[in-house]
Amino acid sequence: MSNKTTVILAAMMGLGLAGTAMAEITKPECVAPAKPGGGFDLTCRVVQTGMEAMLPRALEVTFMPGGIGAVAFNEFNTSRTDDPNALVAFSTGSILNLLVGKYGEYSLDDARWLAGAGVDYGAVIVKADSPFQTLADLMAAMSADPTSVVLGAGGSVGSQDWMKAALIAKAAGADPKAMRYAAFDGGGEALAGLLGGAIQVYTGDMAEMAAHLDGSLRILAALSEERLPAPYAEVPTAKEQGVDAVWPIMRGYYLGKNVSDADYATWVAMFTTAHADAGFQKVQAEKGLFPLPLAGAAFDAAVRAQADTLKTLAVEAGLMPAN
Amino acid sequence: MSDRIFAAALGIIVLIYGWIALNTIKAPFQYDPLGPESWPQLLALVMLICLALLLWRPDAAGFDLTQPSALRLLAMLGLLIGYALLFKPLGFILATFAFAALNSRMLGASWRGALAFGFGMGVGGYVISAGLLDLNLPDGPLPGF
Amino acid sequence: MTEVFSGLATGFSVALQPFNLMLVLFGCFFGTLIGALPGIGPINGVAILLPIAYSLGFPPESALILLAGIYYGAEYGGRISSILLNVPGDAGAVMTTLDGNPMARNGQAGKALSLSALASFIGGTVAVVLMTAFGPLLAQFGVGFQPSDYVALMIFAFATLASLVGANPIKTLIGAVLGLMLATIGVDSNTGVMRFTFGVPDLLSGIDFLVVVIGLFGMAELFHLVEQQARGAVKSIPVDRTFVSWADILYVRWTLVRASLIGFIVGVLPGTGASVASAVSYGVERRMAAPDDKMFGQGDRRGLAAPEAANNASAGGAMVPMLTLGIPGSGTTAILLGALLMFNITPGPQLFSQHPEIAWGLIASMYIGNVALLVINLPMVGLFARLLTIPQHYLTPLIAILAFIGIYTIVGNPFDLYMIIALGCMGWLLRKLDFSLAPVILGFVLGALFEDNLRRALSISGGDWGILLSTWESYLLYALSMGVVIGPWWRGRPRRRGEGAADKA
Repeated sequence: MSNKTTVILAAMMGLGLAGTAMAEITKPECVAPAKPGGGFDLTCRVVQTGMEAMLPRALEVTFMPGGIGAVAFNEFNTSRTDDPNALVAFSTGSILNLLVGKYGEYSLDDARWLAGAGVDYGAVIVKADSPFQTLADLMAAMSADPTSVVLGAGGSVGSQDWMKAALIAKAAGADPKAMRYAAFDGGGEALAGLLGGAIQVYTGDMAEMAAHLDGSLRILAALSEERLPAPYAEVPTAKEQGVDAVWPIMRGYYLGKNVSDADYATWVAMFTTAHADAGFQKVQAEKGLFPLPLAGAAFDAAVRAQADTLKTLAVEAGLMPAN
Repeated sequence: MSDRIFAAALGIIVLIYGWIALNTIKAPFQYDPLGPESWPQLLALVMLICLALLLWRPDAAGFDLTQPSALRLLAMLGLLIGYALLFKPLGFILATFAFAALNSRMLGASWRGALAFGFGMGVGGYVISAGLLDLNLPDGPLPGF
Repeated sequence: MTEVFSGLATGFSVALQPFNLMLVLFGCFFGTLIGALPGIGPINGVAILLPIAYSLGFPPESALILLAGIYYGAEYGGRISSILLNVPGDAGAVMTTLDGNPMARNGQAGKALSLSALASFIGGTVAVVLMTAFGPLLAQFGVGFQPSDYVALMIFAFATLASLVGANPIKTLIGAVLGLMLATIGVDSNTGVMRFTFGVPDLLSGIDFLVVVIGLFGMAELFHLVEQQARGAVKSIPVDRTFVSWADILYVRWTLVRASLIGFIVGVLPGTGASVASAVSYGVERRMAAPDDKMFGQGDRRGLAAPEAANNASAGGAMVPMLTLGIPGSGTTAILLGALLMFNITPGPQLFSQHPEIAWGLIASMYIGNVALLVINLPMVGLFARLLTIPQHYLTPLIAILAFIGIYTIVGNPFDLYMIIALGCMGWLLRKLDFSLAPVILGFVLGALFEDNLRRALSISGGDWGILLSTWESYLLYALSMGVVIGPWWRGRPRRRGEGAADKA
């Protein structure tokens, strides 16, 4: 309980710093730009449960599906540009869609990137009876003949799921355009494709592997900087196997671009407090996310850094013009 | 005759669809031999053949739509579009009240019945949907749950 | 096998606790209410009510039991509007309208509703029994189903549905191609290229299946009602007190068996669900019937029982890969998977050993949910049937309002309200010109699955078309497709059967 009190106190101090803006956040809302039940819903639930104690009233989760997030981005650039109450959930996939123009003529400057909800990392997965014992085996096979291995993931060409496969191909010295890749409708179907033998390598995410650590699959590499905590501690990273492939999938929130600095600062202060709070971290872990304790300017920088990586890959693949 | 008009009108749409499929849909690169354009092209082709057959041998006897029916339908369409337009800005309760009252009045309910029905649908619908089932409905200017 | 029985015993001891039992009943009741809204089927019902279940702070098994109840309730709730109003409640209910609504209009609403409840019960029960007995085995089969096999399955589905041809085969084909064309709108799922979106962000992820169903069926029905009324052609339907009889059940017994099996198998496959299951089973029934059997589409009991049994069986089938392998095979199971994860339970092979009370409790609550549904709904059939006695001038706006609530609360995008109106106009026009709407919907569902899987298979093979004929599953399905096309034609030649006449009894 004392823990909770500290959080509240800290949050109140955070609000105090932001001065008059406190009155502005009266009806907190988290917009999940998708239908209920998906990843964005989950992102919103993190702040709903994890920050319950700090918010003036219970945060409401609303859904704004349509156009893989484009409808929400558009809404917050036309009619709700300065709504201080509404967080919008986004992920690395949204940044990519924004960059390649799927959201229309918008850029990274058309939202205020607020704070991280958590992060997941890419994973290179094969079946337990696969001939590929290590990432090096896969790399050798792919550099010898990129068409000898069928990769697959839960997204179309140009999606962030595909980019993980492209990253592996590139690391093996192969042209991503020359590899063999099957696009599935979501991670579940891709996983079924792997288990059923339709594809040989699945470039998925670490968190979804929690249910599959029983021995039916082998995770060749985690695409994180360092080894992840248990139950994934046994999984080697690509880096330690000498392959320079890191793929974080960020989940976070943005605000409309005309939200005042004061309101932005208020939210940043709340998130900074939350990121250090054990309760928030517990919720994060429950939703299958690893910590991403970034808010405000630091988070904005992380979003832009990732955007650069995405852009490089997309330009190389011919998915967007170079400038 | 109505079949022929329909076939011709749809034919124009399908030609545009086919033109788009032939000219503008193209992937920067693809892993399957068909690409995003082949399937729509095939569909356009099949559709054009079917429409040609329908033009050649139509079957509907006639399109009997009397003027009063047509007017009623247009009024219904107008009401629905209005309802859709106002659904979010006015909120569920007010928009539904207006729509339900006007629509039932148009279809022959008494004014009193129509107003009571509108009130019941607006308020009752909101209480059941937003209150009991916790669905997201727009509040509009009224305070919600 | 002893494992299964001891497991079931554990499950029932959990599910039959008075509190949990109450939750199932409560869930079924609310599920039925929410499912009766057009557009809100089991997927959305569960997704919407999931956070509430979570926030109530129940132990995980109780929360899951509540969800199972909601799930079954919503599944059944969707039938009410399909049968009574000709407005399908959700994806799986489209085929139900084909014969269910004519039955209601022939004054047999009560019979249609109760038969549908029974067929759902039987389909659901068959699925749960099969799942209990053969779950892990079947999961392997489902997962082993390759993209090329899905292509064969879609061909089979199209072949069975060739039976939907109405008076004019060309018009049926036009309808189907129209559905296929609608399905191509949006981002292509293989290459990520935008197709026919015209820069409208709302179209990027394609037209939602529910929008098409509610628009083409629900809104078109609305315009149809208004037009009928303008001509004074609306006939009032007397309150009917019909109810399903033993003769009805006996009449559809083989239909129920076939449909339950088809539904279950289709459900086990990840990627196909209630809509494909109900369409295939309806098509098969129609193909099995004598060629001169003209009852289908006019209120045939088999035409109602088949899709109802199949879509409930597919719901059970979809649980198999989810529980045993942790792979969600359908939208609903993806949400149930999410629910399990929320409670820190990871489904998969170890679920049954680590959390037997949850795995078996869920299975037991499916048995109970099936029974609860029957118990709750059979007595209410008469009440629902009275819906038809609501005067037209109230019923028409009621349909519109329900459709708006359904679409808005799920899709949350005012754009889709315009879409259903536009599709409604299209549906009205097509109906007016004697087109049947079912092929449009089926084209829409099957087309996307067909194209995606075909191109997925070809990406895997690197462009080699030989992959389409590489497994025994695909050979079998192609053979069956030939069978359903040629069979009835061949059988219809030499002799006639008298069943058509006996039907009307």
